[in-house]
Amino acid sequence: MEFGPYLFIASLEGAITAAVLALTAVGLSIVFGIMRVVNVAHGEFFMLGAVIAWWVTSMITAHPALGFVAALIVAPLLVGLLAIVSDHLVLRRINYDPERTIVATIGLLYVIQQTTLMTFGPEARPVEAPFNKRIALPWFELGENGFVLTWPWGLSTTTYKLAVIAAAIVILLILWLVMSRTRLGLIMRATQLDSEMAQAHGIHVDKVYALVFGLGAGLAALGAVLIVPIQQAHYLMGGDPLLLSFIVVIIGGLGSVAGTIVAAVLIGMSDGIISVFFTPTLAKIIATLLVAFVLVFRPQGLFGKPER
Amino acid sequence: MLVVDNIDAAYDQVQVLFSLSLSVKRGEILCLLGRNGAGKTTTLKSIMGLVSVQKGSIKLDDQVLSDLQPHKIPAAGIAYVPQGRRLFAELSVKQNMDIGLMARGAGADTFESVLEMFPRLKERLKQRAETLSGGEQQMLAMARALCMKPRIILLDEPTEGLQPSMISLIRDVILKLKQENVAVILVEQHVDSAMKMADRVAFIEHGRNPETMTGEQLQQNPATIRKYLGVE
Repeated sequence: MEFGPYLFIASLEGAITAAVLALTAVGLSIVFGIMRVVNVAHGEFFMLGAVIAWWVTSMITAHPALGFVAALIVAPLLVGLLAIVSDHLVLRRINYDPERTIVATIGLLYVIQQTTLMTFGPEARPVEAPFNKRIALPWFELGENGFVLTWPWGLSTTTYKLAVIAAAIVILLILWLVMSRTRLGLIMRATQLDSEMAQAHGIHVDKVYALVFGLGAGLAALGAVLIVPIQQAHYLMGGDPLLLSFIVVIIGGLGSVAGTIVAAVLIGMSDGIISVFFTPTLAKIIATLLVAFVLVFRPQGLFGKPER
Repeated sequence: MLVVDNIDAAYDQVQVLFSLSLSVKRGEILCLLGRNGAGKTTTLKSIMGLVSVQKGSIKLDDQVLSDLQPHKIPAAGIAYVPQGRRLFAELSVKQNMDIGLMARGAGADTFESVLEMFPRLKERLKQRAETLSGGEQQMLAMARALCMKPRIILLDEPTEGLQPSMISLIRDVILKLKQENVAVILVEQHVDSAMKMADRVAFIEHGRNPETMTGEQLQQNPATIRKYLGVE
Protein backbone atom coordinates (compact mmCIF):
# COMPACT_ATOMS: atom_id res chain seq x y z
CA MET A 1 0.00 0.00 0.00
CA GLU A 2 1.23 3.52 -0.78
CA PHE A 3 1.87 6.14 1.85
CA GLY A 4 -1.40 8.10 1.33
CA PRO A 5 -3.84 5.23 1.94
CA TYR A 6 -1.62 3.96 4.76
CA LEU A 7 -1.80 7.38 6.44
CA PHE A 8 -5.57 7.36 5.96
CA ILE A 9 -5.84 4.00 7.76
CA ALA A 10 -3.60 5.27 10.56
CA SER A 11 -5.76 8.42 10.86
CA LEU A 12 -8.90 6.30 11.16
CA GLU A 13 -7.29 4.29 13.96
CA GLY A 14 -6.32 7.62 15.55
CA ALA A 15 -9.88 8.88 15.26
CA ILE A 16 -11.15 5.85 17.20
CA THR A 17 -8.57 6.47 19.93
CA ALA A 18 -9.53 10.17 19.91
CA ALA A 19 -13.25 9.43 20.18
CA VAL A 20 -12.92 7.16 23.19
CA LEU A 21 -10.26 9.39 24.74
CA ALA A 22 -12.52 12.44 24.37
CA LEU A 23 -15.29 10.68 26.33
CA THR A 24 -12.93 9.50 29.05
CA ALA A 25 -11.03 12.79 29.35
CA VAL A 26 -14.17 14.93 29.39
CA GLY A 27 -15.30 12.86 32.39
CA LEU A 28 -12.01 13.62 34.15
CA SER A 29 -12.21 17.28 33.10
CA ILE A 30 -15.70 17.98 34.44
CA VAL A 31 -14.82 16.30 37.74
CA PHE A 32 -11.76 18.53 38.08
CA GLY A 33 -13.50 21.63 36.72
CA ILE A 34 -16.51 21.47 39.01
CA MET A 35 -15.20 19.65 42.08
CA ARG A 36 -11.47 20.53 41.91
CA VAL A 37 -10.80 16.83 42.47
CA VAL A 38 -7.92 15.14 40.62
CA ASN A 39 -9.46 11.70 40.24
CA VAL A 40 -6.60 9.22 40.02
CA ALA A 41 -9.14 6.36 40.02
CA HIS A 42 -10.68 7.56 36.74
CA GLY A 43 -8.89 4.85 34.71
CA GLU A 44 -10.34 2.19 37.01
CA PHE A 45 -13.86 3.45 36.30
CA PHE A 46 -12.96 2.98 32.62
CA MET A 47 -11.72 -0.54 33.31
CA LEU A 48 -14.85 -1.38 35.32
CA GLY A 49 -16.99 -0.23 32.39
CA ALA A 50 -15.22 -2.75 30.14
CA VAL A 51 -15.45 -5.55 32.72
CA ILE A 52 -19.16 -4.93 33.32
CA ALA A 53 -19.68 -4.90 29.54
CA TRP A 54 -18.07 -8.35 29.36
CA TRP A 55 -20.22 -9.54 32.27
CA VAL A 56 -23.47 -8.23 30.75
CA THR A 57 -22.74 -9.58 27.27
CA SER A 58 -21.86 -12.99 28.80
CA MET A 59 -25.22 -13.05 30.59
CA ILE A 60 -27.29 -11.96 27.59
CA THR A 61 -26.29 -14.31 24.82
CA ALA A 62 -29.42 -14.30 22.61
CA HIS A 63 -27.84 -11.84 20.16
CA PRO A 64 -24.56 -9.88 20.40
CA ALA A 65 -26.38 -6.60 19.74
CA LEU A 66 -28.83 -7.21 22.59
CA GLY A 67 -26.08 -7.82 25.12
CA PHE A 68 -24.07 -4.87 23.85
CA VAL A 69 -26.98 -2.43 24.07
CA ALA A 70 -27.68 -3.67 27.60
CA ALA A 71 -23.99 -3.13 28.45
CA LEU A 72 -24.17 0.42 27.06
CA ILE A 73 -26.91 1.17 29.59
CA VAL A 74 -25.91 -0.99 32.58
CA ALA A 75 -22.14 -0.32 32.69
CA PRO A 76 -22.26 3.52 32.91
CA LEU A 77 -25.14 3.34 35.39
CA LEU A 78 -23.39 0.85 37.71
CA VAL A 79 -20.04 2.62 37.47
CA GLY A 80 -21.72 6.01 38.01
CA LEU A 81 -23.51 4.61 41.04
CA LEU A 82 -20.22 3.24 42.44
CA ALA A 83 -18.67 6.68 41.94
CA ILE A 84 -21.56 8.36 43.78
CA VAL A 85 -21.14 5.92 46.68
CA SER A 86 -17.36 6.61 46.67
CA ASP A 87 -18.06 10.33 46.73
CA HIS A 88 -20.39 9.90 49.67
CA LEU A 89 -18.15 7.53 51.66
CA VAL A 90 -14.74 9.05 50.89
CA LEU A 91 -14.53 12.43 49.14
CA ARG A 92 -17.28 14.21 51.07
CA ARG A 93 -15.81 13.03 54.37
CA ILE A 94 -12.48 14.66 53.57
CA ASN A 95 -14.31 17.83 52.49
CA TYR A 96 -12.99 17.60 48.88
CA ASP A 97 -9.61 18.82 50.10
CA PRO A 98 -7.46 18.85 46.90
CA GLU A 99 -4.41 17.10 48.37
CA ARG A 100 -6.28 14.50 50.38
CA THR A 101 -8.56 13.60 47.46
CA ILE A 102 -5.50 12.67 45.39
CA VAL A 103 -4.38 10.20 48.07
CA ALA A 104 -7.95 8.97 48.56
CA THR A 105 -8.49 8.30 44.86
CA ILE A 106 -5.14 6.47 44.66
CA GLY A 107 -6.54 4.23 47.40
CA LEU A 108 -9.77 3.86 45.44
CA LEU A 109 -7.74 2.90 42.36
CA TYR A 110 -6.13 -0.05 44.17
CA VAL A 111 -9.35 -1.16 45.84
CA ILE A 112 -11.20 -1.29 42.49
CA GLN A 113 -8.28 -2.84 40.61
CA GLN A 114 -7.53 -5.58 43.14
CA THR A 115 -11.20 -6.38 43.72
CA THR A 116 -11.56 -6.81 39.96
CA LEU A 117 -8.49 -9.06 39.89
CA MET A 118 -9.95 -11.22 42.66
CA THR A 119 -13.37 -11.53 41.05
CA PHE A 120 -12.86 -11.16 37.28
CA GLY A 121 -9.41 -12.74 37.17
CA PRO A 122 -6.18 -11.82 35.38
CA GLU A 123 -7.25 -12.91 31.89
CA ALA A 124 -8.14 -10.54 29.07
CA ARG A 125 -11.67 -11.32 27.94
CA PRO A 126 -13.22 -10.42 24.59
CA VAL A 127 -16.59 -8.81 23.99
CA GLU A 128 -18.24 -9.45 20.67
CA ALA A 129 -19.11 -6.36 18.63
CA PRO A 130 -22.84 -5.98 17.88
CA PHE A 131 -22.00 -5.68 14.18
CA ASN A 132 -18.64 -5.83 12.49
CA LYS A 133 -18.82 -5.77 8.73
CA ARG A 134 -15.59 -4.98 6.92
CA ILE A 135 -15.97 -2.23 4.35
CA ALA A 136 -13.48 -1.23 1.67
CA LEU A 137 -12.57 2.45 1.57
CA PRO A 138 -11.99 4.46 -1.59
CA TRP A 139 -8.86 6.45 -2.38
CA PHE A 140 -8.24 9.22 -4.88
CA GLU A 141 -5.26 9.16 -7.18
CA LEU A 142 -4.13 11.83 -9.59
CA GLY A 143 -4.12 10.27 -13.06
CA GLU A 144 -3.71 11.69 -16.54
CA ASN A 145 -7.41 12.67 -16.61
CA GLY A 146 -7.48 14.26 -13.14
CA PHE A 147 -8.52 12.52 -9.89
CA VAL A 148 -9.45 8.87 -10.22
CA LEU A 149 -11.35 6.86 -7.60
CA THR A 150 -9.48 3.65 -6.67
CA TRP A 151 -9.99 0.84 -4.15
CA PRO A 152 -6.48 -0.04 -2.92
CA TRP A 153 -6.07 -3.53 -1.51
CA GLY A 154 -6.08 -3.46 2.30
CA LEU A 155 -7.64 -0.02 2.62
CA SER A 156 -10.60 -0.94 4.76
CA THR A 157 -12.18 -0.57 8.16
CA THR A 158 -15.16 -2.05 9.98
CA THR A 159 -18.64 -0.65 10.44
CA TYR A 160 -18.21 -0.99 14.19
CA LYS A 161 -15.13 1.26 14.23
CA LEU A 162 -17.03 3.96 12.33
CA ALA A 163 -19.95 3.54 14.73
CA VAL A 164 -17.65 4.12 17.73
CA ILE A 165 -16.59 7.48 16.27
CA ALA A 166 -20.20 8.45 15.51
CA ALA A 167 -21.42 7.34 18.97
CA ALA A 168 -18.73 9.39 20.73
CA ILE A 169 -19.69 12.48 18.71
CA VAL A 170 -23.39 11.99 19.56
CA ILE A 171 -22.67 11.49 23.29
CA LEU A 172 -20.44 14.59 23.42
CA LEU A 173 -23.13 16.62 21.62
CA ILE A 174 -25.73 15.48 24.15
CA LEU A 175 -23.36 16.41 26.99
CA TRP A 176 -22.81 19.85 25.43
CA LEU A 177 -26.57 20.37 25.13
CA VAL A 178 -27.11 19.35 28.76
CA MET A 179 -24.34 21.65 29.99
CA SER A 180 -25.34 24.68 27.90
CA ARG A 181 -29.12 24.45 27.49
CA THR A 182 -30.59 22.83 30.59
CA ARG A 183 -31.30 23.88 34.15
CA LEU A 184 -29.07 21.04 35.39
CA GLY A 185 -26.21 22.33 33.25
CA LEU A 186 -26.71 25.85 34.57
CA ILE A 187 -26.56 24.56 38.15
CA MET A 188 -23.38 22.61 37.37
CA ARG A 189 -21.72 25.62 35.74
CA ALA A 190 -22.70 27.94 38.58
CA THR A 191 -21.22 25.44 41.06
CA GLN A 192 -18.03 25.29 38.98
CA LEU A 193 -17.69 29.08 38.93
CA ASP A 194 -18.33 29.75 42.64
CA SER A 195 -19.53 26.92 44.86
CA GLU A 196 -20.05 29.14 47.91
CA MET A 197 -22.25 31.56 45.97
CA ALA A 198 -24.08 28.61 44.44
CA GLN A 199 -24.89 27.47 47.98
CA ALA A 200 -26.03 30.98 48.86
CA HIS A 201 -28.51 30.67 46.00
CA GLY A 202 -30.02 27.43 47.18
CA ILE A 203 -27.92 24.97 45.18
CA HIS A 204 -27.21 21.74 47.08
CA VAL A 205 -23.51 21.63 46.22
CA ASP A 206 -22.91 18.19 47.77
CA LYS A 207 -25.59 16.71 45.52
CA VAL A 208 -24.08 18.43 42.47
CA TYR A 209 -20.65 17.03 43.37
CA ALA A 210 -22.04 13.49 43.75
CA LEU A 211 -23.83 13.78 40.42
CA VAL A 212 -20.74 15.17 38.66
CA PHE A 213 -18.48 12.45 40.08
CA GLY A 214 -21.01 9.85 38.90
CA LEU A 215 -21.31 11.49 35.49
CA GLY A 216 -17.52 11.66 35.05
CA ALA A 217 -17.15 7.97 35.93
CA GLY A 218 -20.14 7.08 33.74
CA LEU A 219 -18.55 8.78 30.74
CA ALA A 220 -15.34 6.80 31.28
CA ALA A 221 -17.38 3.59 31.49
CA LEU A 222 -19.26 4.49 28.32
CA GLY A 223 -15.95 5.02 26.49
CA ALA A 224 -14.78 1.61 27.72
CA VAL A 225 -17.95 -0.18 26.57
CA LEU A 226 -17.47 1.32 23.11
CA ILE A 227 -13.81 0.26 22.87
CA VAL A 228 -13.98 -3.17 24.54
CA PRO A 229 -15.04 -5.08 21.36
CA ILE A 230 -11.79 -3.75 19.82
CA GLN A 231 -9.45 -4.04 22.84
CA GLN A 232 -10.76 -6.78 25.26
CA ALA A 233 -11.45 -6.30 28.97
CA HIS A 234 -8.56 -6.66 31.41
CA TYR A 235 -8.11 -5.61 35.02
CA LEU A 236 -5.00 -3.51 34.20
CA MET A 237 -6.50 -1.72 31.20
CA GLY A 238 -7.19 1.52 33.15
CA GLY A 239 -3.57 2.74 33.15
CA ASP A 240 -3.30 4.00 29.57
CA PRO A 241 -6.65 5.86 29.49
CA LEU A 242 -5.76 7.52 32.80
CA LEU A 243 -2.36 8.70 31.53
CA LEU A 244 -3.78 9.89 28.19
CA SER A 245 -6.74 11.58 29.91
CA PHE A 246 -4.40 13.52 32.20
CA ILE A 247 -2.30 14.50 29.17
CA VAL A 248 -5.39 15.66 27.30
CA VAL A 249 -6.89 17.54 30.25
CA ILE A 250 -3.60 19.35 30.95
CA ILE A 251 -3.08 20.28 27.30
CA GLY A 252 -6.70 21.33 26.80
CA GLY A 253 -6.83 23.34 30.00
CA LEU A 254 -7.99 22.00 33.36
CA GLY A 255 -11.77 22.16 33.55
CA SER A 256 -12.27 23.30 29.95
CA VAL A 257 -14.56 20.81 28.20
CA ALA A 258 -14.03 22.36 24.74
CA GLY A 259 -10.25 22.37 25.27
CA THR A 260 -10.37 18.75 26.42
CA ILE A 261 -12.18 17.66 23.24
CA VAL A 262 -9.73 19.52 20.97
CA ALA A 263 -6.75 18.08 22.87
CA ALA A 264 -8.31 14.59 22.77
CA VAL A 265 -8.55 14.80 18.97
CA LEU A 266 -4.95 16.06 18.78
CA ILE A 267 -3.50 13.44 21.13
CA GLY A 268 -5.76 10.61 19.94
CA MET A 269 -4.96 11.19 16.29
CA SER A 270 -1.23 11.53 16.89
CA ASP A 271 -1.28 8.46 19.16
CA GLY A 272 -3.03 6.45 16.45
CA ILE A 273 -0.82 7.63 13.62
CA ILE A 274 2.50 7.34 15.49
CA SER A 275 1.50 3.91 16.83
CA VAL A 276 0.81 2.65 13.29
CA PHE A 277 3.97 4.10 11.71
CA PHE A 278 6.34 3.67 14.66
CA THR A 279 5.47 2.28 18.13
CA PRO A 280 2.79 3.02 20.75
CA THR A 281 5.58 3.78 23.25
CA LEU A 282 6.95 6.55 21.04
CA ALA A 283 3.44 8.01 20.81
CA LYS A 284 3.21 8.16 24.63
CA ILE A 285 6.71 9.69 24.89
CA ILE A 286 5.80 12.46 22.43
CA ALA A 287 2.46 13.15 24.19
CA THR A 288 4.20 13.36 27.57
CA LEU A 289 6.82 15.71 26.12
CA LEU A 290 4.01 17.88 24.76
CA VAL A 291 2.54 18.07 28.28
CA ALA A 292 5.92 19.19 29.60
CA PHE A 293 6.05 21.97 26.98
CA VAL A 294 2.50 23.08 27.78
CA LEU A 295 3.24 23.13 31.51
CA VAL A 296 6.37 25.24 30.93
CA PHE A 297 5.05 27.69 28.32
CA ARG A 298 1.28 27.76 28.92
CA PRO A 299 0.54 26.22 32.32
CA GLN A 300 -3.21 26.95 32.06
CA GLY A 301 -3.39 24.75 28.93
CA LEU A 302 -4.40 25.72 25.40
CA PHE A 303 -7.97 26.70 26.31
CA GLY A 304 -7.71 27.26 30.08
CA LYS A 305 -7.78 30.65 31.77
CA PRO A 306 -4.87 31.73 33.95
CA GLU A 307 -5.53 31.85 37.70
CA ARG A 308 -6.42 35.38 38.79
CA MET B 1 -38.21 38.74 62.46
CA LEU B 2 -34.51 37.74 62.28
CA VAL B 3 -32.77 37.29 65.61
CA VAL B 4 -29.07 36.56 65.91
CA ASP B 5 -28.67 35.43 69.47
CA ASN B 6 -25.33 35.24 71.20
CA ILE B 7 -23.42 33.51 68.39
CA ASP B 8 -19.79 32.43 68.19
CA ALA B 9 -18.55 31.83 64.65
CA ALA B 10 -15.20 30.64 63.30
CA TYR B 11 -13.30 29.94 60.10
CA ASP B 12 -11.82 26.50 60.89
CA GLN B 13 -9.92 27.12 64.12
CA VAL B 14 -9.97 30.93 64.00
CA GLN B 15 -12.86 32.39 65.98
CA VAL B 16 -14.14 35.68 64.55
CA LEU B 17 -17.48 36.35 66.28
CA PHE B 18 -17.85 36.29 70.05
CA SER B 19 -21.34 36.18 71.62
CA LEU B 20 -22.68 38.51 68.95
CA SER B 21 -26.36 39.41 69.03
CA LEU B 22 -28.53 41.57 66.80
CA SER B 23 -31.99 41.61 65.29
CA VAL B 24 -33.88 43.14 62.40
CA LYS B 25 -37.61 43.61 61.88
CA ARG B 26 -39.76 43.50 58.77
CA GLY B 27 -39.28 46.68 56.70
CA GLU B 28 -36.32 47.82 58.80
CA ILE B 29 -32.84 48.79 57.61
CA LEU B 30 -30.15 47.71 60.04
CA CYS B 31 -26.68 49.00 59.19
CA LEU B 32 -23.55 47.23 60.45
CA LEU B 33 -20.64 49.59 60.99
CA GLY B 34 -17.14 48.73 62.10
CA ARG B 35 -13.48 48.81 61.19
CA ASN B 36 -12.00 46.43 58.60
CA GLY B 37 -11.76 42.93 60.05
CA ALA B 38 -14.27 43.67 62.83
CA GLY B 39 -16.54 40.78 61.75
CA LYS B 40 -19.25 42.46 59.65
CA THR B 41 -18.91 40.16 56.63
CA THR B 42 -18.59 37.12 58.92
CA THR B 43 -21.86 38.12 60.56
CA LEU B 44 -23.61 38.08 57.18
CA LYS B 45 -21.93 34.81 56.20
CA SER B 46 -22.99 33.25 59.51
CA ILE B 47 -26.61 34.17 58.79
CA MET B 48 -26.25 32.53 55.36
CA GLY B 49 -24.71 29.41 56.94
CA LEU B 50 -21.47 29.92 55.01
CA VAL B 51 -19.46 30.19 58.24
CA SER B 52 -20.09 27.65 60.98
CA VAL B 53 -21.90 28.93 64.05
CA GLN B 54 -20.48 27.15 67.08
CA LYS B 55 -22.66 28.61 69.80
CA GLY B 56 -25.91 30.53 70.00
CA SER B 57 -28.67 30.58 67.41
CA ILE B 58 -29.99 32.44 64.39
CA LYS B 59 -33.78 32.45 64.07
CA LEU B 60 -36.08 33.72 61.36
CA ASP B 61 -39.48 33.96 63.02
CA ASP B 62 -39.77 30.46 64.54
CA GLN B 63 -37.36 28.75 62.16
CA VAL B 64 -33.85 28.07 63.50
CA LEU B 65 -31.59 28.92 60.56
CA SER B 66 -28.39 27.89 62.31
CA ASP B 67 -29.62 24.26 62.27
CA LEU B 68 -30.18 24.27 58.50
CA GLN B 69 -27.75 23.26 55.78
CA PRO B 70 -26.50 26.37 53.92
CA HIS B 71 -28.39 25.61 50.69
CA LYS B 72 -31.71 25.56 52.58
CA ILE B 73 -31.32 29.09 53.97
CA PRO B 74 -32.24 30.97 50.75
CA ALA B 75 -35.51 29.01 50.64
CA ALA B 76 -36.38 30.56 54.01
CA GLY B 77 -36.33 33.94 52.27
CA ILE B 78 -32.85 35.31 52.83
CA ALA B 79 -30.83 36.72 49.94
CA TYR B 80 -27.17 37.72 50.06
CA VAL B 81 -25.29 40.26 47.96
CA PRO B 82 -21.64 39.67 48.85
CA GLN B 83 -18.80 42.15 48.88
CA GLY B 84 -17.14 42.24 45.44
CA ARG B 85 -20.41 41.03 43.82
CA ARG B 86 -19.19 37.48 43.16
CA LEU B 87 -21.29 37.02 40.08
CA PHE B 88 -21.12 33.82 38.07
CA ALA B 89 -18.66 35.52 35.75
CA GLU B 90 -18.91 33.28 32.69
CA LEU B 91 -22.70 33.09 32.76
CA SER B 92 -24.90 35.65 31.05
CA VAL B 93 -26.93 38.30 32.85
CA LYS B 94 -30.07 36.23 32.24
CA GLN B 95 -28.45 33.04 33.53
CA ASN B 96 -27.25 34.81 36.69
CA MET B 97 -30.81 35.98 37.29
CA ASP B 98 -32.16 32.49 36.52
CA ILE B 99 -30.01 31.11 39.35
CA GLY B 100 -31.71 33.62 41.66
CA LEU B 101 -35.17 32.73 40.34
CA MET B 102 -34.55 29.00 40.90
CA ALA B 103 -33.69 29.48 44.57
CA ARG B 104 -37.30 30.09 45.62
CA GLY B 105 -39.14 29.03 42.50
CA ALA B 106 -39.95 32.59 41.40
CA GLY B 107 -41.37 33.08 37.95
CA ALA B 108 -41.49 35.45 34.99
CA ASP B 109 -43.39 38.16 36.90
CA THR B 110 -40.56 38.43 39.45
CA PHE B 111 -38.03 38.53 36.62
CA GLU B 112 -39.88 41.38 34.91
CA SER B 113 -40.37 43.38 38.09
CA VAL B 114 -36.66 43.10 38.94
CA LEU B 115 -35.74 44.25 35.43
CA GLU B 116 -37.97 47.29 35.92
CA MET B 117 -35.75 48.29 38.83
CA PHE B 118 -32.62 47.87 36.72
CA PRO B 119 -33.66 48.68 33.12
CA ARG B 120 -30.06 48.79 31.95
CA LEU B 121 -29.77 45.04 32.54
CA LYS B 122 -32.64 44.45 30.14
CA GLU B 123 -30.41 45.54 27.26
CA ARG B 124 -27.64 43.22 28.39
CA LEU B 125 -29.45 39.96 29.12
CA LYS B 126 -27.26 37.88 26.81
CA GLN B 127 -23.99 39.55 27.81
CA ARG B 128 -21.55 37.65 30.03
CA ALA B 129 -21.50 39.02 33.58
CA GLU B 130 -17.72 39.48 33.55
CA THR B 131 -17.97 41.93 30.63
CA LEU B 132 -20.28 44.37 32.46
CA SER B 133 -19.02 47.60 34.00
CA GLY B 134 -18.55 47.76 37.78
CA GLY B 135 -21.86 49.54 38.28
CA GLU B 136 -23.75 47.13 36.05
CA GLN B 137 -22.19 44.21 37.89
CA GLN B 138 -23.45 45.62 41.17
CA MET B 139 -26.92 46.02 39.63
CA LEU B 140 -26.79 42.39 38.52
CA ALA B 141 -25.69 41.22 41.97
CA MET B 142 -28.69 43.05 43.46
CA ALA B 143 -31.00 41.80 40.70
CA ARG B 144 -29.86 38.20 41.22
CA ALA B 145 -30.68 38.49 44.91
CA LEU B 146 -34.04 40.17 44.29
CA CYS B 147 -35.02 37.36 41.91
CA MET B 148 -35.18 35.25 45.07
CA LYS B 149 -38.15 37.34 46.32
CA PRO B 150 -36.37 37.76 49.67
CA ARG B 151 -37.95 38.60 53.01
CA ILE B 152 -34.53 39.70 54.23
CA ILE B 153 -31.65 40.90 52.10
CA LEU B 154 -28.05 41.05 53.30
CA LEU B 155 -25.98 43.66 51.47
CA ASP B 156 -22.22 43.73 51.95
CA GLU B 157 -20.87 47.14 50.89
CA PRO B 158 -23.13 47.45 47.83
CA THR B 159 -21.91 50.94 46.95
CA GLU B 160 -18.18 50.21 47.25
CA GLY B 161 -16.22 51.71 44.35
CA LEU B 162 -19.27 53.00 42.47
CA GLN B 163 -19.83 56.40 40.87
CA PRO B 164 -22.32 58.76 42.57
CA SER B 165 -25.20 58.14 40.12
CA MET B 166 -24.92 54.40 40.69
CA ILE B 167 -24.72 54.85 44.48
CA SER B 168 -27.91 56.87 44.30
CA LEU B 169 -29.66 54.14 42.26
CA ILE B 170 -28.63 51.43 44.74
CA ARG B 171 -29.87 53.57 47.65
CA ASP B 172 -33.22 54.10 45.90
CA VAL B 173 -33.58 50.35 45.49
CA ILE B 174 -32.78 49.76 49.16
CA LEU B 175 -35.41 52.32 50.21
CA LYS B 176 -37.92 50.73 47.84
CA LEU B 177 -37.27 47.34 49.45
CA LYS B 178 -37.93 48.87 52.85
CA GLN B 179 -41.26 50.20 51.57
CA GLU B 180 -42.09 46.68 50.38
CA ASN B 181 -41.53 45.43 53.95
CA VAL B 182 -38.27 43.64 53.15
CA ALA B 183 -35.80 43.70 56.04
CA VAL B 184 -32.32 44.92 55.06
CA ILE B 185 -29.03 44.26 56.82
CA LEU B 186 -26.51 46.58 55.24
CA VAL B 187 -22.75 46.62 55.74
CA GLU B 188 -21.64 50.12 54.85
CA GLN B 189 -18.37 52.03 54.98
CA HIS B 190 -19.94 55.45 54.33
CA VAL B 191 -21.10 56.66 57.74
CA ASP B 192 -23.19 59.50 56.22
CA SER B 193 -25.00 57.08 54.00
CA ALA B 194 -25.62 54.71 56.89
CA MET B 195 -27.01 57.49 59.06
CA LYS B 196 -29.35 58.66 56.31
CA MET B 197 -30.78 55.28 55.37
CA ALA B 198 -30.59 53.12 58.48
CA ASP B 199 -33.36 52.79 61.02
CA ARG B 200 -30.76 51.40 63.42
CA VAL B 201 -26.98 51.10 63.36
CA ALA B 202 -25.16 48.18 64.99
CA PHE B 203 -21.46 48.65 65.68
CA ILE B 204 -19.27 45.60 65.33
CA GLU B 205 -15.92 45.58 67.12
CA HIS B 206 -13.60 42.59 67.53
CA GLY B 207 -16.44 40.24 66.61
CA ARG B 208 -18.82 41.67 69.19
CA ASN B 209 -21.76 44.06 68.99
CA PRO B 210 -21.17 46.44 71.89
CA GLU B 211 -23.75 49.01 70.88
CA THR B 212 -26.83 49.45 68.65
CA MET B 213 -28.58 52.79 68.19
CA THR B 214 -31.01 54.56 65.89
CA GLY B 215 -29.77 56.77 63.06
CA GLU B 216 -30.92 59.87 64.96
CA GLN B 217 -29.16 58.80 68.15
CA LEU B 218 -26.01 58.30 66.13
CA GLN B 219 -26.24 61.78 64.61
CA GLN B 220 -26.45 63.23 68.12
CA ASN B 221 -23.46 61.19 69.34
CA PRO B 222 -20.56 61.70 66.94
CA ALA B 223 -18.21 60.48 69.68
CA THR B 224 -19.58 56.96 69.10
CA ILE B 225 -18.38 57.08 65.52
CA ARG B 226 -14.92 58.17 66.69
CA LYS B 227 -14.90 55.41 69.26
CA TYR B 228 -15.76 52.53 66.92
CA LEU B 229 -14.54 53.74 63.56
CA GLY B 230 -11.75 56.14 64.45
CA VAL B 231 -13.12 58.83 62.09
CA GLU B 232 -14.69 62.26 62.64
